[in-house]
Amino acid sequence: MAEGVAIDTTFWGTRQGGVAALERELTRLRRAQSAHARELGRPIARASVLNLIVYADREEHARRAARSIADLALRHPSRAIVVLADRSARDGTEKRIEMHCRLPIADGARLVCYEQILVRARGDADDRLASAVIPLLVPDLPVFLWWTGTPPLGSRSFGDLLRLTDRLVVDSADFARPELTLPVIARISDEARGRFGLTDLNWTRLTPWREIATAFFDVPAWRLFLDGVTGVSVGFAVDMDGRDIHPSQALLFVGWLASRLGWRPLEALAPSEAGGLLFAIARPDGARIMVRVRPRFERGLDEGDVSGIRIKATAARQLAEFAVKRQPDPRHQTATVLLDGERRWERTMPLPSPAIVELIGEELSILGSDRTYEAALGALVELA
Amino acid sequence: MHTVFREDEVFRIDHYLGKETVQNILVMRFSNGIFEPIWNRQYVDHVQITVAETIGVGERAGYYEQAGAMRDIVQNHLLQLLALVSMEPPAAFDDKAVRDEKVKVMRALRRIAGEDLSMNAVRGQYTRGFIEGTPVPGYREEPGVATDSRTDTYVALKLWVDNWRWEGIPFYVRTGKRLPKQSTEIAIQFRAAPHQLFSRDALAGLEPNALVLRIQPDEGISLRFGAKVPVQGIRIRAVNMDFDYGASFMVDAPDAYETLILDALRGDATLFTRHDEVDQQWAFVDPIIKGWASSDSAEGPALYEAGTWGPTEADALIERDGRKWRKA
Repeated sequence: MAEGVAIDTTFWGTRQGGVAALERELTRLRRAQSAHARELGRPIARASVLNLIVYADREEHARRAARSIADLALRHPSRAIVVLADRSARDGTEKRIEMHCRLPIADGARLVCYEQILVRARGDADDRLASAVIPLLVPDLPVFLWWTGTPPLGSRSFGDLLRLTDRLVVDSADFARPELTLPVIARISDEARGRFGLTDLNWTRLTPWREIATAFFDVPAWRLFLDGVTGVSVGFAVDMDGRDIHPSQALLFVGWLASRLGWRPLEALAPSEAGGLLFAIARPDGARIMVRVRPRFERGLDEGDVSGIRIKATAARQLAEFAVKRQPDPRHQTATVLLDGERRWERTMPLPSPAIVELIGEELSILGSDRTYEAALGALVELA
Repeated sequence: MHTVFREDEVFRIDHYLGKETVQNILVMRFSNGIFEPIWNRQYVDHVQITVAETIGVGERAGYYEQAGAMRDIVQNHLLQLLALVSMEPPAAFDDKAVRDEKVKVMRALRRIAGEDLSMNAVRGQYTRGFIEGTPVPGYREEPGVATDSRTDTYVALKLWVDNWRWEGIPFYVRTGKRLPKQSTEIAIQFRAAPHQLFSRDALAGLEPNALVLRIQPDEGISLRFGAKVPVQGIRIRAVNMDFDYGASFMVDAPDAYETLILDALRGDATLFTRHDEVDQQWAFVDPIIKGWASSDSAEGPALYEAGTWGPTEADALIERDGRKWRKA
């Protein structure tokens, strides 16, 4: 096979002949910038508060991640090590690891620079990938591993990189087969306990939904319905032909409710609609709750995004229905409360739909494990 | 040698001592008022010294088979770093005063022998693996190395300096070939705050305070402390305050040998090792080497894959004490 696609060096920086050469080049760039900054009479900050390893198996994903890191640099200046494992390279391609580096200035006015390194693996480099990443880490700084795509549990490089990691960030929206991968993530989370934290960007996307669902029961008069839930329905977006089914986010919401309210799984039932899921769940008092997760075609939503939730409950001989629905303009949601069929409360409020940059930025400010997430994930795996 | 030269005419080179950043250990400790008061058992939890190389034995098998990491690195470079970081303040910066203090602290270094050996010393040997993504052979596959060689290419030790200043404070030192990264550094890790005000979640990102002297590459000093992450509520994260030699002085430091040869020409022996210093170094190292060579320790060096941070036994050495090796 030929050299393969040449990498864009204006974006990734020039190729370096190894770690020592790469560090020298970064030092040279830093000095050049310092000298330039002194001329301008502005200080330049070499700022690094974390090591961020991004794993991608396609250049387009690697590039997208690198742009997000650039946008994040003011908030989380990092040494960013983008690992591009080019799996498209066929057998016979020489196994090789190339390194490139750049020192982009994140903000022209304040001259904060961060370090961007590309580690590009050609051919099947699973056995040696980590050996190229370890020497690039800045000592003493926490290591975040942002794994784009489905984490391959059996792969050596994944295991090796995990051992270095303080926090693993995945995005279950990217999982090709979430029903297979989520249990794997749950297992990783079990094994990770105390060694590294774990999070899912899809979980971060749920935050506004969790907030509004919690807010219903802040009202003292409605609080007692929390113990009398009889049914839950969560919708998630699919495209028009309903091909791509990504229920992870919706399932995480159900897992969260179950773990917070002490619900136990009873059985998985046959859903009435294609792509949907139906479960019977037991409340702590033993009563049965029906939980539906249903695909919905919604314009303007990313596949897998939660489109609406509905919680039915009885208490004090009243039937209550708590519903949140996205507006046709997906930036707003309407929350409604019906008591015995009568509308008692309704609000429309903004529904933030943060971009990946904001999601990852949020996750990089947390270092420990997220016990609420882990519990939700554990509950969801038991259900599904 | 002494039949021909007087001791003050002998300049024994340990090129580590010629390194700018090694000399800077003395400058940092003794020209500043803020470090020395906390440089003792009251404030220090432990000290870690790492001398890591990525290179293998290369063409030097003939020498290295006989020496091993113990004689090649520990006896000279590592013990010199230990002496500089643990010695008492000399009365003057001259060859006699400085070297007297080094000898004194070397005398206080507790000898490891007999039963203490297995609890305080680990030796390793690399097997094939990867360095920076490139496959490399194992030690026993290197040209000129015996296929059943028991030479140590890695050594980790837990040391005690039995004196007033350091009583009860362990020094963990390690060196090895074919480690993932070239790095020489000394890390002083300080005790935790006596009383924690903040919640467990807030503290999740806090690491112990550490002062790290980076000898090579990327020479510099960094101080790690906890800072508040700028979010609502309290979340603490370890951050580094970093002094980078190259970026601050913008000049390349003179080569270690240039420095030393110039000193020798000028007759300044401060940065050279005196015979009693060397005697003390060997007096420490020899019993360990003998212990390993004795028939009791038949197991030989623990194996580690090239490109990893040494054998798991070395992790156990420090983890037994509830501590861990730094991510160097």
